[in-house]
Amino acid sequence: MKFVDEFRDAELGRAVAMEIMSLVEPGRHYKLMEVCGGHTHSIYKYGIDDLLPANVELVHGPGCPVCVIPMGRVDDGIAIAHQKGVIFTCFGDMMRVPGSDGSLLDAKAAGADIRMVYSPLDALRIAKQNPDREVVFFAIGFETTAPSTALTLKRAQAEGVPNFSVMCSHVTIVPPLRALLESPDLRLDGFIGPGHVSTVVGARPFQFIPADYRKPVVIAGFEPLDILQAIEMILRQLADGRCEVENQYKRVVPFEGNLRALEVLAEVFELRPHFEWRGLGFISHSGLRLSEAYSDLDAEVRFSVPGVRVADPKACQCGEVLKGVIKPWECKVFGTACTPERPIGTCMVSSEGACAAYYNFGRFAREREVV
Amino acid sequence: MTVVRVDESRGLALCEEADGTRATVEIALIESVAPHDTVLVHAGTALTRLEHAV
Repeated sequence: MKFVDEFRDAELGRAVAMEIMSLVEPGRHYKLMEVCGGHTHSIYKYGIDDLLPANVELVHGPGCPVCVIPMGRVDDGIAIAHQKGVIFTCFGDMMRVPGSDGSLLDAKAAGADIRMVYSPLDALRIAKQNPDREVVFFAIGFETTAPSTALTLKRAQAEGVPNFSVMCSHVTIVPPLRALLESPDLRLDGFIGPGHVSTVVGARPFQFIPADYRKPVVIAGFEPLDILQAIEMILRQLADGRCEVENQYKRVVPFEGNLRALEVLAEVFELRPHFEWRGLGFISHSGLRLSEAYSDLDAEVRFSVPGVRVADPKACQCGEVLKGVIKPWECKVFGTACTPERPIGTCMVSSEGACAAYYNFGRFAREREVV
Repeated sequence: MTVVRVDESRGLALCEEADGTRATVEIALIESVAPHDTVLVHAGTALTRLEHAV
């Protein structure tokens, strides 16, 4: 398949792995964070970390959209879903994220009309087909997904669909990265930058990382060769004593991003003063809400929601996994009480979650030889 | 996904996955989409056209 097969070439992969070996200094430990959950998934699926020298460690970042949603937001969604006449719509992964008293899937089993959709446009279609019902879309995701929600809101307003609204839980990627860089318990040497978020925001927003923190960033695609090449580019920067933002994913990511998408985002959304992230707590100006011009389509204005902050279960260590402080298998409940079939934490729900990715692909091959 | 058909008046395109799955996709964020173009689609919205981005 075009744009895919050429980035899965095993021979080229081994050649890049040899390049990586030649760049590392013996005795130095390299800690690189892959920001995006899509990268985490590919790393485990293709066994990329098994091709790396033992002193190059990959740390999982906060870029899984489902994983960072706190329990209180799930409870808010369930509260709306239980209101009379409501059809509550969301992406499939979101249905299995536990709230304080079960998931949206549990609420559906208990009688709430909750439907999985592929896109917000599907939710709008359901609203048009059910004019006597209130249809709410639970919007999650980073800058990659937010344009889709924004376009749907514009379409709903233009077409006059009064029974459609959005519960907005979109987040932005830069504030949590800055929070992680300020964290005293995490030392990182570089970042594999998020490929699809960068399609929208471009490379510029990540320039604070080399400028303020002297760490290299390489924006990367999601195929095995993309990720290996990004690691090689980061290590080369470190070997050369450079730190800058480089773009490995040029076939998709323009440096300036998608200007039309950025315009739409600026029109439809505004930053919340604070937003709670699972495991990371409240981060200033990190979440989006609907702007004044679209507030009549805001489900949090239209419906009453509990809005209560709920602490994560004590056994769950998703917070530490999301901050890269521990590995999935170091969590007390990983693979025992918490599995993809019966998740306790969000990282075990989504295929982009570090725990689920590791459980599905990596758990049988953890011990590897020191190269 | 590959663009199959474009409805410019509605800002939508019918697109197809490699396995034949088809979906309606928003195309307002990219310029002049045509059948046979390959587009990167996220949550039902085309974010970029790959041929032009290489």
